[in-house]
Amino acid sequence: MPDNVTRRGLITSTLITGSFLVLGERLTLTPAEATELGFTSDVLSREQLNAIETVAEHIVPGSHRAGIAAYIDSQLNAGENSLLIGKYLGVDTSGQIAFYENLADNLVAALKTEQSVQEIVGALWGDALGTWEGPPSSYMLFVLRADALDVTYGTPEGFEALGIPYMAHIMPETPW
Amino acid sequence: MVKKKQDVIIVGAGAAGLMLAARLAEGGQSVTILEAGAERQLGDLVSSQIWARKLKWAEPAVSESGDHKIGHAFNAGSGTGGSAIHHYGVWLRMHEGDFSLHKDHGVGLNWPLGYADLTPHYDRVQAEVGLSGDAEQERWRPPGAPYPMPPLPLFAQARVLAKGFENTARHTSPLPLAINSEPYQGRKSCQYDGWCDAGCPTGALGNPLVTWLPRALAAGVHIEHNARVSRVIRSAANPSHIESVEYLQRGIRKTLSAARIIIAAFTVQSVRILLSSATAQHGAPGNHSDKLGRYLMTHPAATVFGLFEEETYPHQGVSAGQLLSHDEYDDKAAAGGFGSSQWMIGHAIKPHDLLGYGTGRPDISGPELEPWLKRAARHLGNMTLVCEDIALPENRITLSDKVDSDGIPYAHTHHDLAPNAAARWTQRMAEGEEIMRAAGAQEVWSGPRIGMHIMGGAVMGDDPAQSVTDRNGRVHETDNLYVAGPALFPSSGAVNPTFTLSALASHQAEHLLATP
Repeated sequence: MPDNVTRRGLITSTLITGSFLVLGERLTLTPAEATELGFTSDVLSREQLNAIETVAEHIVPGSHRAGIAAYIDSQLNAGENSLLIGKYLGVDTSGQIAFYENLADNLVAALKTEQSVQEIVGALWGDALGTWEGPPSSYMLFVLRADALDVTYGTPEGFEALGIPYMAHIMPETPW
Repeated sequence: MVKKKQDVIIVGAGAAGLMLAARLAEGGQSVTILEAGAERQLGDLVSSQIWARKLKWAEPAVSESGDHKIGHAFNAGSGTGGSAIHHYGVWLRMHEGDFSLHKDHGVGLNWPLGYADLTPHYDRVQAEVGLSGDAEQERWRPPGAPYPMPPLPLFAQARVLAKGFENTARHTSPLPLAINSEPYQGRKSCQYDGWCDAGCPTGALGNPLVTWLPRALAAGVHIEHNARVSRVIRSAANPSHIESVEYLQRGIRKTLSAARIIIAAFTVQSVRILLSSATAQHGAPGNHSDKLGRYLMTHPAATVFGLFEEETYPHQGVSAGQLLSHDEYDDKAAAGGFGSSQWMIGHAIKPHDLLGYGTGRPDISGPELEPWLKRAARHLGNMTLVCEDIALPENRITLSDKVDSDGIPYAHTHHDLAPNAAARWTQRMAEGEEIMRAAGAQEVWSGPRIGMHIMGGAVMGDDPAQSVTDRNGRVHETDNLYVAGPALFPSSGAVNPTFTLSALASHQAEHLLATP
């Protein structure tokens, strides 16, 4: 083992960051910081991201503040280096933009109806939303929920919120 | 561009490739490894399940079909160390009956080797890599040298779950692991922080970066990274002789020649390379009897969870688990289905990611979610069932119609689970829920069936009409082309494959060094 690799000795930062455009300048920020600063999206439209944020926050409270929209948009911009969980769930990196555009467009349309977010989410889990197009809504919502868990609880801050010691060997410190 | 000829080219810097490279180079042979992925070092193994996805295979994608998919993106790795860089370190020997499945039961395939052929290699490899375990408590263990290190300590979760096995008249033993329970050969002991799946940067887990890579480099092995092999090329004068390997590196197409070529690119990519090597004049090497790509296997596996009154602290320990149960492993024909099975008990687990407890409960959301996660973070128990897959000719790897930007065909895999293997899985999962309740769980649930590990596709055998390679991994009807790794397996057993593929590579290295 190299001398410079020790668990606690290598903890130099708790930040897990990405590259975000804020007021015309590209900055290295956490998804939460990018959200707070009103980042400019690279891939999805603001309307699409708002819809994703709304539904994600309903199923995983705290995911809006943790930066779910910024996280997804930055990972979609990463091409084949995307770390979105979809790669384990049948969404190859080459197909991720189309997957999330489809998800977001469906959510945008659903949120324009008279139904509450709770009613919409219930219908999505039951594959019962008549206007839904593309892969089953329950599957797409499962993927979104997993992303929301990642960004909300998959970080040192998220572990702390659950009372779990993170105990990293090497703390994540450079952009995802 | 044609570079100078090597003694050996090895395609793939994973567990099998790096071990063969080390052994052959230490035996005086010149070795070059062509690795499709990036160069990786211990400092790249960041403690994050999200970061860990960088270690997995990404592009070109492998498309999948069937009722029990192989989960290539999760199971396969990329870069120095290959899939073994993120393996959990469960090193179990296959049982003697795993090698004679067709002879004993009339299903699947036989190995051309028996357990006795691999025993000295299991023993040698375990001393080189360093295994922790208790051979006496492991009552089901086949004959072999005792483990060089004592078992890892048990944490609260394992002590709670062990009661479920005791209360149902079952047995457990410490799980044998390629993880140091004490300092071993200059490597430190484990800190039990549960980040094994993200890759162990401390050197406690015997991934190839700390076992074979240092030896390979010290012996002069040269590794070319980001070198994606497109095909092997036959000699025009002697078609049974493979002359060179063609690969792409930073957009440039190159060839490299060697006296021997070993394809050790994990199961799917090894077969993809061979299938891609067909020409108008000659079929793909190893496909003389239409067996190349067939008998693809993946263990049907799933996790049983329980919530307990007791505090279990499931973040403690190692990803692999703490205890093992092989009760009934050797009774493959027991009523209820077919095949062996095992339990790995008491995994260190995270709240998120594919195997996380939060991800597996989509029914819990909204305001209920965080309180539930907090409870699970202190009171969860979990254990994973691994069942045997049966080699079927219909389960296979083929070339996709899609090609990547460099013109390399993608691979496609099709895998259905045999009905009797599926029945065994269902039977054992029901038993697992009973065990969890017998341990005192107040709430019990199960995760979905997944494909764990990938084997077969270039199976070894003595009969060229029924196999792709011979008992030494040499592709039939070629002089100098070999396959290494789990693609060679004619049966899967129900144990994690890294120990066996390593013992098999050790057997191959001995043969190659003894055969000029």
